[in-house]
Amino acid sequence: MQSIVSKGKTIEDAVNVGLNLLEASKKEVNIEILQKENKGFMGVGRKQAVVKLSINRLEENQTQPEKSSFKAEMDSFEEYIENLSPYLIENQKLNMNDSYPSTDMSPSNLEGKVWVKDNQLFVKNSPSHFSTITSCKGVKLIKNGEVVKEHTTIISEKDQFEIEIENQQQIKETTWNVSIDSSGLSARLHIEPGCIIKRNVQNMEPSEHIELCVEETVEVRNEIDYEEIMKKINALHVTYGINQSEIIKAMNTQEPGVFEIANGKKAESGKDGWIELKIDVNPRNGLVEDESGNVDFRESRSIPKLEKGQIVAIVHPPLPGTPGVTVTNEPIPAKPTYPIKLKLGNGMIEVDDKLVATESGRPFVERRGQLVSASIMPKYVHDDHVNLSSGNIRFHGDVDILGEVEENMLVEAKGDIYVYGSVNQAELNTTKSIVVKGNIASSDIAAGKNNMLIAELGHILGVLHGQLEKMIAVIKQLSQTSAFKSSDVSVSGLQPLIRILLERRFKGFLSLVNQYQTVVNKGEKYLDSEDWSFISVSLTQIFQTLSNQLITIERLENLSKKMFDLHELSQEPIEPESYITISDATNSNLYSSGNINIIGNGCINSKVHSGGKLNVFGVVRGGEVYGRLGVRIDEVGSGSGTKTIVSVPSDQKIYIHKAMEGTILKIGNVTRTLNADRKQITGYLNDQNQIILE
Amino acid sequence: MVLKFSINEMDSRGVVNLVGDLDIEATEMINDDLIPCLLEFQIIQLNFEHVPFVDSSGMGLLLNIVKRLKEQNIEVTISDVKEEVYEVFDLLQIPEIVGEETFV
Repeated sequence: MQSIVSKGKTIEDAVNVGLNLLEASKKEVNIEILQKENKGFMGVGRKQAVVKLSINRLEENQTQPEKSSFKAEMDSFEEYIENLSPYLIENQKLNMNDSYPSTDMSPSNLEGKVWVKDNQLFVKNSPSHFSTITSCKGVKLIKNGEVVKEHTTIISEKDQFEIEIENQQQIKETTWNVSIDSSGLSARLHIEPGCIIKRNVQNMEPSEHIELCVEETVEVRNEIDYEEIMKKINALHVTYGINQSEIIKAMNTQEPGVFEIANGKKAESGKDGWIELKIDVNPRNGLVEDESGNVDFRESRSIPKLEKGQIVAIVHPPLPGTPGVTVTNEPIPAKPTYPIKLKLGNGMIEVDDKLVATESGRPFVERRGQLVSASIMPKYVHDDHVNLSSGNIRFHGDVDILGEVEENMLVEAKGDIYVYGSVNQAELNTTKSIVVKGNIASSDIAAGKNNMLIAELGHILGVLHGQLEKMIAVIKQLSQTSAFKSSDVSVSGLQPLIRILLERRFKGFLSLVNQYQTVVNKGEKYLDSEDWSFISVSLTQIFQTLSNQLITIERLENLSKKMFDLHELSQEPIEPESYITISDATNSNLYSSGNINIIGNGCINSKVHSGGKLNVFGVVRGGEVYGRLGVRIDEVGSGSGTKTIVSVPSDQKIYIHKAMEGTILKIGNVTRTLNADRKQITGYLNDQNQIILE
Repeated sequence: MVLKFSINEMDSRGVVNLVGDLDIEATEMINDDLIPCLLEFQIIQLNFEHVPFVDSSGMGLLLNIVKRLKEQNIEVTISDVKEEVYEVFDLLQIPEIVGEETFV
């Protein structure tokens, strides 16, 4: 058999080229299209048509259908070029399939072949070999009335065949369910539509060996019923916010899904009571930089002043929230809101909803959560040095010292302390803020110690409260125990029980109580609220003494509640926070619950603790400085090798303009010593707990 | 039921059978009668088989007995504690206080 492969712009061209070469007519050849031409786009991806022509004069009788097949190909191909829409291509493919048997039905071509059409098995014997079929899973082949057990079997025309399909039709019911979420704010319909799965044997083209495979067609049938849904909704008492359009969507869905068929209304939270200040109560945070970075001591303070009868603030009551509704039409209460708790000091009264000054002077308003303390701060101006002839100064308001504070003297105030001169080997102490213009040498300066005290006590209280809650839980659990008699509680109270619990289960409790009491006793004069000492006394009565007072579970619960409230209060930030602003310090201790600004030459061999940000415009040589909310220093370190430590908590950063070799940076619990001078560095902790310097 | 006790002597070993509730009403009996009796032995076994109920004072008494005996170097064990009663012991961590090995 002679054959040739030829190329051309179109299939027709290629065929003609081939026919010319073979010197044959179309009737005399079998044409096999190897590649249709592709015009490509603007010449890109262009392909020539490739055909294979085989002379087959012996099978002349066959050329007719071949030709028609070729014609069909050509026709459809032209269509293909003309109509590039996918739909037509699809159509055309179907046409070609339909035409398939007619093209290849010629008996000699089918000899020894087997095929499947419409669940029917056809076979044509061949003298040279048998056809074989392999049945796949789910298909049962019955040969002459017997089920074929072999995987692959030989078939011939004389046999009778039947094909059976397992589960030819399978019906899956529609499943659905309605549920209400835990908040009661939404009812959801979960639906999985049912379907009918029909299985047929896949049509197979004639071949010497075929596989009988199962073909599945799935017809989705969403059989959910509106009445049924409504019935279910009623059974769940869903009455509020039913969304009909979602129900309709669910009824029409073809895919499994979740539909929110009812929505409740969320409770809207209200607003806690608040205080609206009508005057500026905060003195300018003394001695701060202006835009150009300079600090002017003459502009150190602008003090707000108040006249008698002036309205200081308006106290707004809390605004309640709007309650919400669940889908079952039950109200959802809004979060409760709390009023402002006022603590009025000297010179302030409350008239209706207003705070009014009854004296003239500096207004003082401090906020901590919902607790607001307000008073008129009296002022004492000491126009001389503080020394043995003046004595120590203790005052319940602001104190201005125009001179110096000399050796071993003490200035203690409830308001701000302002010292114009220097402080030498002395002590300054206030619950508010401190500004010192002169030098500070070998002195202790503390501002806002009460805040730090409250933070410390609050922390202990938090732990104590947790333990007390557990203790109450154990006591309650005990009374539920079948073998436990609580009859003696009415006689001797809970003391015997508490004593046993303290022995082991709450072993650390008493030492915490002691710690709390020590701190309270030490700092009693700084603590404004009596609640702190009340708790201290209660703890002693209940846990430490052998008093005859009966201790009930209610009393424990009361105490626990009080502790919780106070602990919460201690967690609230205080406004305004204390601060210290000084020029420079040597061999001193500085403590502030808020920011510390050192705006002169800096600090030498001093210990500095700032509960806020620490800013040093000058140098830090020797000593240890700490800023809870970050540290910024111009120059740090000492050439002489004196130890200099700069530290911040793990989540804060250290900025240094110039750092000398040997400076120790401490971030959280990680320390790093600089082994060379560095400029412009930012230190922080990365995820691996390493100090990164940039 | 008011607590009663009986002691079985075996050489230097005393087995104390407690019968009744170990509660506040047993305070005097235990402190005045039972403890002095036990001090003559070297090994004491407290049998709780017939103690159905306890209260917090009773727990205090038990701790007191164990403490007093241990001070005298008398070996104490507690046996046959009912499950419900042991639940109370466990909540109060009595085994940890007197030593786990005391319970047999």
